[in-house]
Amino acid sequence: MELSIPIYCLLIVIMGALTFVLAKRRARAVAQGADRTILAQSFHSRPNFHGLFAGGLVMLLSFNAMLAGLKIGFPGFATIGLMIAFAALAFLYARTTVRADFKARIWVERFVKSLLLICSVIAVLTTVGIVLSLVFESLRFFKEVPVLDFLTGLQWSPQTALRADQAGQSGAFGAVPIFAGTFLIMLVAISLAAPVGLMIAIYLSEYATPRVRAWVKPAIEILAGVPTVVYGYFALLTVGPTIRNFAESLGASVPTQSAIAAGSVMGVMIIPFISSLSDDVINAVPQSLRDGSLALGATKSETVKKVVFGGALPGIIGAMLLAISRAVGETMIVVMAAGTAANLTANPFEAVTTVTVQIVTLLTGDSEFDTAKTLSAFALGLVLFIITLILNVIALMIVRRYRERYD
Amino acid sequence: MKYTLMTALLGSAMMLTACGGDKPAETNNSKAATPAAATNSEIRIVGSSTVYPFSTKVAQEYKNKTGQNVVVESTGSGGGHKLFCDSTGADTADITNSSRRQKKSELDKCIANGVDEVVEVKVGFDGIVIANSRNGVDMPLTLKQIYMAFAKEVPTSDTNCAMIANPYTKWSQIDSSLPDTKIEAYGPPPTSGTRDAFVEVAMEGGAKKVTCMSTLRKNDKKAFANMAHTLREDGLWIDSGENDNAIVQTLVNTPTAIGVFGYSFLDQNGDKVKGAAVDGADPTFENIASGAYPISRSLFFYIKAANVQANPGIQKFALEFTDESAWGPGGYLEEIGLVPLPEAERAKYRAAVENLTAYSQ
Amino acid sequence: MEKPISIHAGDRALKRLKKRRRSEAVFKAFGVAAIVFAVCALSWLLFSIVSTGYKAFYQHTITLEVELSESILAPDGTRDPDTLRGANYRRIMQDTMFERFPEINALEGRDQRTAKRQLFDVMSTSGGPNHIRQMVYNDPSLVGQTITVKVPTSDVVDQYLKGNLNTDVPEEQRNITDRQIAWVKTLNESGEIKAGFNSRLLFSTDSRDPELAGIASSFVGSLMTMFVTLLLAFPIGVGAAIWLDEFAPKNKFVDFIEININNLAAVPSIVFGLLGLAVLLNWGGMPRSAPIVGGIVLALLTFPTIVIATRSSLRAVPPSIRDGALSVGASHVQAVFHHKLPLAAPGIMTGSIIGMARALGETAPLLMIGMVAFLTQIPKDMTEPATALPVQVYLWAGNAEQAWTERTSAAIMILLLVLVIMNGFAIWLRRRLEKRW
Repeated sequence: MELSIPIYCLLIVIMGALTFVLAKRRARAVAQGADRTILAQSFHSRPNFHGLFAGGLVMLLSFNAMLAGLKIGFPGFATIGLMIAFAALAFLYARTTVRADFKARIWVERFVKSLLLICSVIAVLTTVGIVLSLVFESLRFFKEVPVLDFLTGLQWSPQTALRADQAGQSGAFGAVPIFAGTFLIMLVAISLAAPVGLMIAIYLSEYATPRVRAWVKPAIEILAGVPTVVYGYFALLTVGPTIRNFAESLGASVPTQSAIAAGSVMGVMIIPFISSLSDDVINAVPQSLRDGSLALGATKSETVKKVVFGGALPGIIGAMLLAISRAVGETMIVVMAAGTAANLTANPFEAVTTVTVQIVTLLTGDSEFDTAKTLSAFALGLVLFIITLILNVIALMIVRRYRERYD
Repeated sequence: MKYTLMTALLGSAMMLTACGGDKPAETNNSKAATPAAATNSEIRIVGSSTVYPFSTKVAQEYKNKTGQNVVVESTGSGGGHKLFCDSTGADTADITNSSRRQKKSELDKCIANGVDEVVEVKVGFDGIVIANSRNGVDMPLTLKQIYMAFAKEVPTSDTNCAMIANPYTKWSQIDSSLPDTKIEAYGPPPTSGTRDAFVEVAMEGGAKKVTCMSTLRKNDKKAFANMAHTLREDGLWIDSGENDNAIVQTLVNTPTAIGVFGYSFLDQNGDKVKGAAVDGADPTFENIASGAYPISRSLFFYIKAANVQANPGIQKFALEFTDESAWGPGGYLEEIGLVPLPEAERAKYRAAVENLTAYSQ
Repeated sequence: MEKPISIHAGDRALKRLKKRRRSEAVFKAFGVAAIVFAVCALSWLLFSIVSTGYKAFYQHTITLEVELSESILAPDGTRDPDTLRGANYRRIMQDTMFERFPEINALEGRDQRTAKRQLFDVMSTSGGPNHIRQMVYNDPSLVGQTITVKVPTSDVVDQYLKGNLNTDVPEEQRNITDRQIAWVKTLNESGEIKAGFNSRLLFSTDSRDPELAGIASSFVGSLMTMFVTLLLAFPIGVGAAIWLDEFAPKNKFVDFIEININNLAAVPSIVFGLLGLAVLLNWGGMPRSAPIVGGIVLALLTFPTIVIATRSSLRAVPPSIRDGALSVGASHVQAVFHHKLPLAAPGIMTGSIIGMARALGETAPLLMIGMVAFLTQIPKDMTEPATALPVQVYLWAGNAEQAWTERTSAAIMILLLVLVIMNGFAIWLRRRLEKRW
């Protein structure tokens, strides 16, 4: 008979709480002696900690008993029996530790610190997990498709045949058109966001009154808080058709899903990244430098262009790189507003596809894990991860290395 | 620090051994991605995106009538057959929808994996339409023109079957009566039954009209089929996903593009898209039912009879699907674009569902 | 001897000055233009969403007198709810419509069949029958009586009445026929068709029919996923930050951990989805589409943000606080947990709420782990297939019928509202509990 996990957990908690209370009482009793007024023995740790130590030990051992029982496959009652047995052992041992010279607090603190350590290590585990899973699946992919073909091939036709007697695509996995599409959209986005974001940051830190700043800054932050799927829908619903209608009125033919539609909406999305990061670095430039420049008769704009900008430049470049990294990794806007046509072009008015769109297209729908088609998504994911990693590291390095020391 | 580290390691070690432990026996079907967990009280349906609207409509009615939940996934006919034939078991697909008949190779795979009682149910007819936006021009086509537009390799001329890479980039290059716009087609990927039906009926039908290809067909059927089925990969034919609705939207956004999908999507979106006449016949309900419209095919679903015992709702669902109020003339499936079978066939498949008679190829 | 002319006086100097002042004004104008551009973009976004979405909050219904004829529903006289459930309610609703417009019987053959179908199509053909089915299931004694019900119109009729359909084009190019328009006009004039608040949008589950669809199942799915995310990301994030700031020794390994965390904050969200797919679903065999898997993936995504927010809050607490605790004999752990943490708590909570708000809007990782199936029920526990609100928006955006546009926008409005509430709460909390040092 299987009992559910919450019931086991409840049992563990109850036993732990009981032990805590009992141990604490005992510690207090032993410390106060028969008199209950004088400190008969001088305890290293307060009663609370003895309680925590005892309760924690009981919970830990009974938890392990539960895991052992589940793994071996004991029926419900046997597991509970095992848990209670271990709890009893822990209880008896803990009882012997309620004495003056037992450093209960130290043990409890060690345990807490080890928990915190584990929390931090999870970050490493996550990165390791990402790298391992991507690399592992990509290796399986590269067994079928050579790395060079993938990185330099010009044709992307991943929809291979499903059965032997079916004629599908030829299964070419040249990813260059996809990288080109990502690059193109990123270019459109940055050419929009960089000047706008930078100018906003400069204006807010140099020219704006505190009142203006108080209203405008949150408004810009709102842009950052809008979910990307909303941006994607906006591009699909409004921006794309507007661009198409505008182009039609000029006589050109532009599809609704184009690089410029997706790129411009993405640009709007990353404006707050650039503006708030740049704002921070611009503010970090000491006022004394500005004052010196103004004292020599420069206008504010000249001060900004010649003095402040130079000092803040590494930070601004770092902000740009981070924004580029964000643009490259963005998924929902491009899924909804760019197309799925792997088109190798430099024309932003055509439909292109990006790495993230291809990952989504390949993995939603037919979910089969030994075909080159689905594994190619992992290879793309690996490339994406590496590129964003490099951009982030470079951004950090630039900021660190070239940061001006002002004092 | 030393003690902290020790305690941490000990704790993690205990956790990890536990993690290895409390997973029940799995991995027998972890090669294919595990489908969404369905308890015994749910019905799992996968398969064709063309049959998907009909399946979900019946699922809704069925849930209203009985309260049992049905989960329908649109994976494409090919993907559906793969999931369906993978294994038996309560948490595998109970029914797969298909916009083409199950291939013998697929049925063999089913039997090899222990799924040896499969009930075939034909549910109706569907036409495959060549559609474009209502704002685009009318494009009456012939099967031969369709073949010339989409094949990867075409014969040099009517009499010379030396194959060359498809040189046509504009419709007017194939036939001067067609518009002078770039060929841009959005169609089903190889996982889709619509693709299989399209290449078999339309592409082969068009290829046959080329004199030398017709001779090739008489001599070497396989080579002929291979050449007719392979679609161009130079970006003028774009494999779209299983979401036919997205194709409709793309067509609306790009009036010069055409889309290849099932009749029900044309029917439901008649205010936005129109279908091209093929060989003189418009893609209408009557023409598809009568066979005058040349690109039509049957729609199916397949039942895993072995699962019915544990989950009798599967059969009840199939009975709801094959009820006159659903699939018959005037039924709610006809309302959303299904062309009903003739009465005799309806009776035949209804009986198959009632008796759960397995079929064979 | 002539006095030398200063380069700061004279015509050329004046011209230079003017040029510089002009370029200053231009520069400033660029700044203003940039702000105006960003604000306009935001307004355009909100305007286009709200202007399409507000229409989804009301819907038209038809008031009908329905005769629950016993001969159709329960010919054997049964009153068992489960048996009655399977009866032919479609027929009842069809008959009701045909009785309302008896002139339809004057038509013949094929024409009559088409006309009857179109007449029935004026109402929601699945919503109508289901409505009375539900009523009879709850109260079987209704069989044999005539009741007044309000059923939703079909989505096409609803769109027509809202003015969203273009009726200038010829009939074959429309989804609504001339006959249907005439019937609808009649019903509208007599007040049998009325517009009312669309509670279905908020309380129904997803449906193939737009007039019946709602966000209830995806909202609950989002709540469940957020719950798991909070449960995992918050303690682990805060714990990691405390360790890094207070207890970590200064060595290469710790540097490595810090670099990792900063990196993870910038990894694209779709990569986390791939991680979830490869590790949790494939290797770990966890149930696909379940909130628990989605929660774990989003927790991994949010955890670096919480770490960074916690660290900055901890650093903002003056060292004197900690030193004060240490000086009266507290241990390091006690000083941190008892003195420092409560003071850093407002910043931590604010950062966590903002992190959670970001996780609420994430779609790509959830697509990877499969939360895209069409579901007809609200998930009951964390291991059942579910979907989330942003994924619902994505799915609805791909649907073709006209009526979905306004519903997608409405769902976005609801999503944005929740985010505004969360962020507003975070800001209010920060203002309220902030301490100036």
